[in-house]
Amino acid sequence: MNRALRRVSLICLVLFVLLLVNVNYVQGFEASSLANEPGNGRTFSAQFQFQRGSIVTADQKVIADSRLNKNFGEYQRRYPYGQVYAPVTGYDSLFSATGIEQAENKQLSGTDPALAVHNLIDLISGKPKKGATVQLTINSVAQQAAYNAIKAQGRQAGVVAINPQTGAILVLASYPTFDPNQYATLNGAKLDKNDARYRANPNQPLLNRAINVTFPPGSTFKVVTSSTLFSTGRYAPDTRVFAPTNLKLPGVSQPLINFDNEACNDGSNPTGHGTVPLIFAFTVSCNTVFGNLGMKVGGSKLQEEANLFGMNKANLTIPLPVTQSNFPLYTDPAQAAGGAIGQESDTVTPLQEAMFASAIADNGTLMKPYLVDKVTAPDLTTLSTTQPTALSHPVSPTAANDVKQMMVSVTQSSAGTAHFSADVPGIVIAGKTGTAQTGINNTGLDDAVFTCFAPASNPQIAVGVVVKGGGQGADASAPIAVAIIKAYLASLGKG
Amino acid sequence: MATPSDQPLGADSAGSASQPANVPVPQGRRRTELLLLLFVVGVVMLAYANVGLGLNGKVPAGMFQYGIAFAILVGGAHLAVRWLAPWADPLLLPLAALLNGLGIVMIYRLQQAGRGGNGGFVIATMSTSTTTLQVAYSAVGTAAFVAVLAFIRQPRTLQRYTYTLGAIGLVLLALPALLPASISEVPGTAAKIQISLGGFTVQPEEFAKLALAVFFAGYLVSKRDVLALAGRRVLGIDLPRARDLGPVLIAWGASLVVLIFESDIGTSALFFGLFVVMMYVATQRTSWLIIGFLLFVFGSLVTAGLFAHVRERFVIWLHPFSYVHTTAFQLVQGLYGMGFGGILGRGLGQGQPYNTPLVQSDLIITAFGEELGLTGLMALLLIYGLIVQRGLRAAIAVRDPFSKLLAGGLAFVIALQVFVIVGGVTRLIPLTGITTPFLSQGGSSLIASWMLIGLLMRISDTARKPAPQPIQDEGMTQVVRAG
Repeated sequence: MNRALRRVSLICLVLFVLLLVNVNYVQGFEASSLANEPGNGRTFSAQFQFQRGSIVTADQKVIADSRLNKNFGEYQRRYPYGQVYAPVTGYDSLFSATGIEQAENKQLSGTDPALAVHNLIDLISGKPKKGATVQLTINSVAQQAAYNAIKAQGRQAGVVAINPQTGAILVLASYPTFDPNQYATLNGAKLDKNDARYRANPNQPLLNRAINVTFPPGSTFKVVTSSTLFSTGRYAPDTRVFAPTNLKLPGVSQPLINFDNEACNDGSNPTGHGTVPLIFAFTVSCNTVFGNLGMKVGGSKLQEEANLFGMNKANLTIPLPVTQSNFPLYTDPAQAAGGAIGQESDTVTPLQEAMFASAIADNGTLMKPYLVDKVTAPDLTTLSTTQPTALSHPVSPTAANDVKQMMVSVTQSSAGTAHFSADVPGIVIAGKTGTAQTGINNTGLDDAVFTCFAPASNPQIAVGVVVKGGGQGADASAPIAVAIIKAYLASLGKG
Repeated sequence: MATPSDQPLGADSAGSASQPANVPVPQGRRRTELLLLLFVVGVVMLAYANVGLGLNGKVPAGMFQYGIAFAILVGGAHLAVRWLAPWADPLLLPLAALLNGLGIVMIYRLQQAGRGGNGGFVIATMSTSTTTLQVAYSAVGTAAFVAVLAFIRQPRTLQRYTYTLGAIGLVLLALPALLPASISEVPGTAAKIQISLGGFTVQPEEFAKLALAVFFAGYLVSKRDVLALAGRRVLGIDLPRARDLGPVLIAWGASLVVLIFESDIGTSALFFGLFVVMMYVATQRTSWLIIGFLLFVFGSLVTAGLFAHVRERFVIWLHPFSYVHTTAFQLVQGLYGMGFGGILGRGLGQGQPYNTPLVQSDLIITAFGEELGLTGLMALLLIYGLIVQRGLRAAIAVRDPFSKLLAGGLAFVIALQVFVIVGGVTRLIPLTGITTPFLSQGGSSLIASWMLIGLLMRISDTARKPAPQPIQDEGMTQVVRAG
C-alpha cells in the first residue's frame, strides 16, 4: 500500500500547491482590482488612515481639508465654509463621497497612478502619505456673493457663473443646501442620523440645483432661437417681424399670447397685426413673435442650434456629472412655437443657462465648462493642469454680435425687461430674462430665469440663474446675477 | 501509574547504553517537541499582544491568563504524550497547538471588534465570553486527545469495532437530516448539520468523520483482495468487476443524501473523497480514483441542475461580483478582506474582518489573510501541509495494514478539508461551508480535530517504537548438556 500512499501524498501536494498559487493570485495579483471594486468598503475606509488632499479655490481659499481627530486616531474632513461650497465639494463620509470629493477621489486620496512615485519616495523617506491638492476654478468672492444672494431670497435656486473665454466655472451654488461637515463625522451612527435627517427634509437640500436639476428655460431660450435665425443669414436685429397680439397655433384652440396678454408694440404696431423690429421683440420678450419665427424656422433647425449650445448632451462632466438639458425634436408646428419660447418640454440646468450666455460672450464659441484648474502633489509639483477646450461653435462671430446687441438692449433700453434690475452704473450687462410657466395649465408659481454676461464690451463672466417659483425673471433672478457680477469684477480689479 | 520520567526520553535515554554502537539509536524526540511547544506558546502570546496593540495600543488585559491557560493545555498534552506515546511524531502536537492558539487569538480579535472603543462592528453571534469558551473547548479538545492516546494503546484494537463505528458514523451523519429544522438547521443558512439543544450545539458530522474513517479502514482491509480483482481493461485502466462497484455506489449515494437533505456540499465532498482515496490506497487500483472523481462530478452537476441552493453555489463562484449585494456578499467580502491584506497584511487588529459574515467560523481563513497577509496565510497552509505530511509519513512507516489505511485516510481528510474550505473562500472552487480545522470558532470541529491528531500520534508512536530488544543478559541460548 506504500506506493498508493506515496501517490496520495502527491495528490495532497497538488492540492496544497493549488491553494498556495491561488492565494498568491488573490492577494498578490488580484488585490488591486479587488481594491477598485465599487462596493469595496475596506478600501474606502482606509483613506481615513492618512491625510487626504485639500480642495482650494482659484484664489487659494481652503474649502476642504483633513485634520487628525485624536479621539478616533483617524483623519477627519473639515469644510470651513460648509454650505457655501457644498454643491462643489460634496462630502467625503465614512461610507461614500459626492461632488469633487468623489470625482477627484483618486487625486485627493493619493491612489492615482500619477502619484505612485511620490508615494514611494514618501514611503522610503518615512514621510506620512498625503493626498494631492485639488485647485478649483471657483472664485471665492463671487461664490460667497452668489450664496448670500440666493440664501437671502430664500427660494430653491441654482446659480452657475463661467469665464466665457476659458469655460472655467467661477461660481456654482445651490439653495437650500447641506453642511458637508455633518457628513465628515467619523462616528458611523451619528453619520447615519445626519444623513437620514437631510434625506427626510422635504426641501431636498442634498440636490445640486446648479447642475443636477432642470427647469424650463422660459424666454431665455429666445437667445437660442435668435441664434438660429441669425445663422440662417436672413435676419438681422432690425429685421421687421410679424408681431400679433394673439398668435393662432395650428391644431390648438388657445392662441399663444404674450406675458399678461400684452400687445407687442413699440409704437409702430398699433393694430396688433403688424410688424416690429426683431430687437424690440427680444427686448420686451414677445412670445408671439418668437413663437411665429420658431414655427417658420422649424423644430429640427431649433434642435440643431440647441445641441450646439450644449443641450441634449447626456455625458457632460465638469468633472461632476451634469444632468442633461433637453430640447426634443418638435415636429408639430404648435410645439415648435412653444419650444422656441422655452416652454413645452424644454428643460435646462442653471449651468446650461450660463453656457447660453457664455457662447454669445465668446464670439460664438462655447468653451467646455470645467471646475478643476490643477492638481498639485504634496511637494507642490503640478501633476495636471486643465487646458481650456472649445465644446462647439454655436454661432458665427457676426451672429453672436447680433445676439449680444439684443441682449444689451434688454438691460439698457428703457423698455427692456431687465432695465430696472440689471442696469448697473459702470457695468454694461448683456442679458435675457425668462419667466417660465410651470404646473398643469400654468397654475404653478413661475420660475425666474436669467442668463447674462458682463461687461458687454469685454466679457469676463457669464451667469445663469434659476429661482424656482421666483416669479418674473427680472425680479428674482437678475439681482442675483448682478450681485455676482459686481463681486467678481471687483475682485478682478483688486487682483 | 508511571511518571513521565520513567519513559524513554530520546537520544539521551539511559536505555540506549547497552546497545551496540553501530545500531542507530531510536529517538522519541520529546525534547524537540517541548522546545517547539515553547516556541508555539511564545508565538501565540506575541500574536495575542499584537491584537491588543493593533486594536487600541495596549497589551490586552487578559493576556497572561489566556497565555497561562494555553501553556497549561499544551504542557499537559506534552506530558501525556511522554507518558502514553513516547515515540510519537514530535511535530504533530506543536503544529496542532499552534493552529489552535492562533485560532483562539483570532477569535479574541473578532470578539473585540466594535467593543470597548475598538473600531468595527460587533459580530452579533459573538459575546465577550466567546474567547473563554473557545479556550474551554480547547481544554476539552486536548483532554479528548489525551483520552484517545490513553484508551487506544494499539491502533489495531479499533479494527474490532469496524462495524460498530460504521453504524455510529452513519447515525451521526444522518441524525441532523432526520431531526426537525428547528434543532438541526444552522441559523441563516439552509444547512442542516447540527444538533442544537438547550443552548449547546454539536455538529455530529465532525465526529462521524473519525468513526467512518475507522470503518472504511476496517472494511477495506478485509475486503481489499476482492475489490482489487480486476475486471476488464479499458483505455489502460483496470476496471473493477461490476458487483464490486457496490460499496462505492453506496458511499456515493450516502454522500448525495447528505448533500440533498442536509444541504451540505462540503461535508458530502469530504466523505466521498475520503472513501475513494482509502479505497484506492487499499486496492492500489487507479481506476477507483477515476471512477470516484467522475461520479462526484456527475453527482454535483445533476444536483446543481435539480436543486437551486446547489446551483447558486456554482453561480456565485463563477460570477461573484454580479451578486455582491445578495448571495455572493459573504464570498466577496472575504475576497475584499484578503485583497485588503495584500502581501504583508494589515496587522492583527488593524484590518476589517468583521465586515465578512461568518468570519469567525467558515471564513476565518480570510481574516488571517486580511490581517497576516499572503505571508501569514501561506505559513498557515504550510502548517496544514506539514500535519498532512507527518500523517502520511506515519502511514507509510507503520506496518499493520489497518493502521496504514487509517492514518492515510485521516491525513488525507485534513488535506481535503483544508482544500475545500480554503479553496472555497479564495474562489478556487465553489464555496461550501465547512469548518477550518483548529481555527474556526466552535467546539465540535476543534475536539474532533484534536482526536484526529491523537489517532495519528498513536499510529506514529506504533510505527516509530523500536522493536523489542532481545534481553542480552538472560536471553542467550544456553547449551544444555545432557548426560
